[in-house]
Amino acid sequence: MADQLKPVRWVLAKVLGAAFVLWAVATLIFFGIRMIPGDPAEAILGGPGSQASPEALEQVRRDYGLDQPLLAQYAAQLGRLIRGDLGDSYSLRMPVADLIANQLPGTLLLSALSLLVAWLLALGLAGWSTLNGRAAGVVASGLEIAAAAVPHFWLASVLILLFSNSLGWLPPVNTGSADGLILPVVTLALPLAGFLGQVMRESMLAAMSSPFALSARARGEGESGVLFRHALRHAALPGIALSGWAFGNLLSGAVVVESIFARPGLGRTLLNAVTLRDIPLVTGVALVSALAYVLVMAASDVAERAADPRLRTA
Amino acid sequence: MSFPFRTPARGVPAAAGAVAAVVLLAGCSGGGGSSDNGGEPVSGGNLVYATGDAEPTCLDPHVGGNYPQALISSQYLEPLVSRNSDGETIPWLASSWEQSEDGLSWTFTLREGVKFTDGTPLDAEAVKANIEHAQDPATASSTGYLALRKIKSAEAVDTQTLKLTLSSPDSALLESLSMPWVAIQSPKALERSQEENCAAPVGTGPFVVDKWVKQESVTMVRNEDYSAPPAEGWHAGPAYLDSITWRFIPESATRYAALQAGEVQVIDNAQPDTVKAAEGSDVIKHLDAPRPGASNRLELNSSKAPFDDPKVREAFVRSVNVNDGVSTLFFGTAKRSYSPLSSVEPLAYSDQSLFGYDLEEANRLLDEAGWTARDSAGYRVKDGKRLTLQFPVSTNQSIPAEQSLFEQFQATAKEAGFEVKLNLLDLSSWYGALAENNYNLVSAPYTKVGPDVLRILFHSDSTKPAPSGYFANLSQVKSDELDELLTKASETSEPAERERLYEEAQKIVLEGYYILPLYDQQNHFLYRSEVSGVKALPTVSTPTFHDAWLTN
Repeated sequence: MADQLKPVRWVLAKVLGAAFVLWAVATLIFFGIRMIPGDPAEAILGGPGSQASPEALEQVRRDYGLDQPLLAQYAAQLGRLIRGDLGDSYSLRMPVADLIANQLPGTLLLSALSLLVAWLLALGLAGWSTLNGRAAGVVASGLEIAAAAVPHFWLASVLILLFSNSLGWLPPVNTGSADGLILPVVTLALPLAGFLGQVMRESMLAAMSSPFALSARARGEGESGVLFRHALRHAALPGIALSGWAFGNLLSGAVVVESIFARPGLGRTLLNAVTLRDIPLVTGVALVSALAYVLVMAASDVAERAADPRLRTA
Repeated sequence: MSFPFRTPARGVPAAAGAVAAVVLLAGCSGGGGSSDNGGEPVSGGNLVYATGDAEPTCLDPHVGGNYPQALISSQYLEPLVSRNSDGETIPWLASSWEQSEDGLSWTFTLREGVKFTDGTPLDAEAVKANIEHAQDPATASSTGYLALRKIKSAEAVDTQTLKLTLSSPDSALLESLSMPWVAIQSPKALERSQEENCAAPVGTGPFVVDKWVKQESVTMVRNEDYSAPPAEGWHAGPAYLDSITWRFIPESATRYAALQAGEVQVIDNAQPDTVKAAEGSDVIKHLDAPRPGASNRLELNSSKAPFDDPKVREAFVRSVNVNDGVSTLFFGTAKRSYSPLSSVEPLAYSDQSLFGYDLEEANRLLDEAGWTARDSAGYRVKDGKRLTLQFPVSTNQSIPAEQSLFEQFQATAKEAGFEVKLNLLDLSSWYGALAENNYNLVSAPYTKVGPDVLRILFHSDSTKPAPSGYFANLSQVKSDELDELLTKASETSEPAERERLYEEAQKIVLEGYYILPLYDQQNHFLYRSEVSGVKALPTVSTPTFHDAWLTN
């Protein structure tokens, strides 16, 4: 009986935890964005280069409820959020929910592809180095550290110079077709592959020298057989555990990558929204990102349990 | 949010390498078709324009009113009057005008037979509706509202005759009406909700807004019935291009790479390094179109110490080596200015003799002003206080080359004993620092057609902050003599007298060392050689593609 309740309790805990995270994000953003100097009313009126008239500012403050006391604005904001209403963007004059719905698929596609490519690169490198001895391990470790240390903006610039300007193989900006995705995906995937590769290679090496690997070899299994049939699952475990974190990393990387490659997406939306003090839009994007992060964390929990039988009995 | 990839030092060699690559590619392709502007224009094709400016929040430039809106709306909206390359006002949607003896009423005759792209005729009622729209607080217009500030009422005398009544004479009225922020839209379209009108304003221009994909692009298609070019400079009949795709590519290096790759044909906000790099290219051409209004300048805040002392102001101006910095950091793409006004303004007055770099003179002036001692760091001190200058810099408004230039100022001013504290801020924080009077130096661009910008920047009325805390007179000059000159100039239509008044006013600003002029407000466009006929409107220097055509 108690065992049957466990999953229910687990889900309940996750849901409550997620609700708390979302509330905290909404609250932090609401007060945080107001601590930055600057007048949202002026931002609404076009900010740079436009000198807002007093009448226009007053009109905007009335329209957007900015003339209300701060706590009243906060309460109204929470009330709207609870009803599922993300409000209207100041800067793009559209419902935030519509904007996010338009921009989310691009970012999700970019993040998912990057995660996949990072996984493949990391596993490939870890497998290759495990099968090829100490020297290969040193090379792999060097590559991983270098990749993990590379900042996105630098990598993006180098890739554009190399593959767009010099070789002319790939477009430097979003073209709407698949080839426009390659450079942004590589930009996001390489540093992540460096991180994932480091942990995967270590646990793969550990697995290869563990007793079960030894007994597999004793049964006559070849090195690559041991690797693919036995060690791979062990190497994947820390990778899965890290994937939730990796997804968060990709979302923040998207801010830079979408701006550089001029791709539409949540990252670029967030950057513009922060610059323009577009409070509803910043809140909306942050909430959706937090929600996505919570979901991916839960998914990686489930995946980890599936891949590691030891966790199921715990 | 500060962006690390803005660092200019990294961009310079990168761009140079990029250009080498393009030259190589061009060499390989065997020359391609000659694309000099010689040939006969051909119709057809889609032009892709990549802007580095922010995506407008509303495509109707009456709402708010900033430069990104001016850039794009110049393709589909047109104002009542324009300017020719000599800076003279020429007819556009208004064919003629007349002002009364007392300057308090103006009569405009509108062009016959012009229709908005929704079929509504251009008549006096339409223009009246536009003026009222820009003046309506519900529109939340800033720039347009200021431009129409003196218009008390508009009245349709007959279908094509409009009478404007002013609260006081306005010698800048025609210049104001030439700006894209008060361009004329279909009155029928203006009756829609602001949401709808922001998404697709309806005008008389050579293109029509077709589709706006947020964060991505705006598509505009040719207005087949176009019939209203300005009095000079444009060909008659519809545009040559079928359509324009207006893309938003914020990152400068990507924008240039996209241009080189041929993904886009025109880019704006070209940075000095890319302009320089493009000079050696057969494939890429350069259009330099400085913006009107004020020059880019440092404002010296005269309202508080140490710049309340004119000697300290002059000492600072003499202590910074502007010319060397500009020529090394801008690669010869920016010409040094010695005027408060842009060089495109016919009434700009310059005085180079006031602004020579002279460290000895700077030291002498500071000694005279009582800043005689120096502390261990080499900065001057007086009464235990260091000679410190707070310099908030807006990273949205100052390009990387300009930020580097300010760092050079910091270094050269140190030799005279100034401690310049550069503070890189995003736009809202920057406005915040200004509103709190927490600055000694600041650089703030201001785009406006005509010398009346001097009144906005230097009249003491402009030291009074708006409810937002912002004020335009950032050097905080308060001079009765200057106020009187500027007010009189704004009411004087007689050309010679107007010129004399503005010259006197500029002399006071320059000789008082309230500003340090740097260069015109930079506005560089790069385009591929397959595009011909790219030009900028001589009003606020926005590009126009009515005459543009594509070869091959």
